[in-house]
Amino acid sequence: MKKQCYFSQHNINQIDYKDTEVLKKFINPHGRMISRKRTGISAKYQRQLATAVKRARFLGLLPYVAR
Amino acid sequence: MDETQNDVRMNVYEIGYLIASSVPEEKVASEAEAIKSIITKAGASVIAEEMPHSERLAYTMRKKTVSGSYEKYDSAYFGWIKFEVGSHVIESIKKSVEVYPAVLRMLMISALRENTYLGKRASAIAAEFSSNVGRKSFAEKAPFTLTSRVAETSKDAAPAAPATVEEMDKSIDAMVKEA
Repeated sequence: MKKQCYFSQHNINQIDYKDTEVLKKFINPHGRMISRKRTGISAKYQRQLATAVKRARFLGLLPYVAR
Repeated sequence: MDETQNDVRMNVYEIGYLIASSVPEEKVASEAEAIKSIITKAGASVIAEEMPHSERLAYTMRKKTVSGSYEKYDSAYFGWIKFEVGSHVIESIKKSVEVYPAVLRMLMISALRENTYLGKRASAIAAEFSSNVGRKSFAEKAPFTLTSRVAETSKDAAPAAPATVEEMDKSIDAMVKEA
C-alpha cells in the first residue's frame, strides 16, 4: 500500500522549526533525519523538513546527536 | 526595472532567540520587550510573537563573557517574533539583536505572513501520526541498525586506514608511483 504524505494529509503548507513535536517524529534515536523512503513524505516536504530540523538544532530545540 | 529608488521592498521576517538562563525569571519579560523595541525602533511592524518561556536545551551551549571565559547553558528562555520590515534595515536589526547581552543565540529567517506555527495542535497531530502508522514513533522505535552498520564499516576500514601522517604520505607516494 502506498504511503500518503503526512504533511499534505494534515494541510500543513509550511513546516515550522518551532513545531518540535512534529519534527521529532522524523528523526531517529540518534537524532538523524529519517529518509523519505521510510516515512513516505513527498520531496517538497522533505526539503522543508530538512531546513526546519536544521534550524531547530541550531536553537537547541533538537539535538545534533543523541546517545 | 519598475522600481524607483524610493521604493522599499517590505518583507516578513522572523527572529527566534534564546535568552540566557542566567537572567532572572522576572527580568525575562523586560528583556523580551527590549528585543522587541530594537525591532520596532527600526520601523518594523510586529505581526506575531511569543514571549520567552524556559526550555531545556538539547545540548549544552556556551557563550563568551566579557572577561573572555565561557559560560555554559543547559537551559534557556526561547521566544520568537515575526515582523514586517524593509529589506534595507534587516541587516542592522540582526546585528543589534545578536550583540544584545542577554541573547544567548538568535536565528533570523524570512518567513510567511500566514501563521505556520501549529503550537498546541502539533502534539495532537503528532499523536495521530503514531496511531496512523500503527507502530511506535520513529524516535521510540528500537535502536536503529545504524550503529551496527557503522561498526561494520569501521571494522572493514580500520586496517586499510593509515594511522599517522607519515604513513599517509607513504601511501600517497606509492599511489603516485603506480600511476
